[in-house]
Amino acid sequence: MMFAVAAIALFASMILVMIRLFAGPTLYDRVIAVNVFGTYTVLFIGVVGFLAGRPDFLDIALLYAIINFVGTIAVLKYFRYRAIGDLRPLTRKEETGL
Amino acid sequence: MMQHHLILRVVVKILAPAIILFGLYVQFHGDYSPGGGFQAGVIIAAAFIIYGIVFGLKQAQQVLPGWVVHKLIALGVLIYAGTGIYSMMAGYTFLDYDGLSPAYPTGGQHNGILLVEFGVGVTVTGAMVTIYYAFAGRPPRISDEEW
Repeated sequence: MMFAVAAIALFASMILVMIRLFAGPTLYDRVIAVNVFGTYTVLFIGVVGFLAGRPDFLDIALLYAIINFVGTIAVLKYFRYRAIGDLRPLTRKEETGL
Repeated sequence: MMQHHLILRVVVKILAPAIILFGLYVQFHGDYSPGGGFQAGVIIAAAFIIYGIVFGLKQAQQVLPGWVVHKLIALGVLIYAGTGIYSMMAGYTFLDYDGLSPAYPTGGQHNGILLVEFGVGVTVTGAMVTIYYAFAGRPPRISDEEW
């Protein structure tokens, strides 16, 4: 019963975060919304695992936490530096010589 | 490029070994809990990818050079197929794990699935890191004015 209530509450929070994701005025609102949605997914997998009587779902939740962290850092680096590696983007002058 | 992100660098330095450890747990505990070779390969590759994102591609390639990654892809396939060829040499069919230890087939099956999953994990690690190196190694072509 307790886990069912927690799952419903998490689901309602995920819907609110989705609203912020689509309505977010700036890029950083959307990035934070995706990150928080990932955190809620981690919690939801854990709660559903205990609800179904399979605590080994926690491994999957841990994996989601890692992938969420890596993905958020990658997206933020891309939008800050316009590159995922070491190289800066070429300016128009460097690329075309004009 | 990311020299001034001190918190991020310290967190990734602490977290990367833990991610690799979790990947090894998923790899070798996969027959008792959710997991397996593919998932473990992706997790271990994620550790190298986050290291490359935060510390730079050049430093990631000092840890895991490009030629080593290419050899890893082939090595995983070699482990997988070698297990099957070995059981063929022992007189069984291809990938029949009983052939690994004919005197005790249950142990052979256990070792066989571990070996095959290890090969899958090595190949997936190499493939994922290669995809990251390929994407990160070329200069982005979108200039700042166009955004």
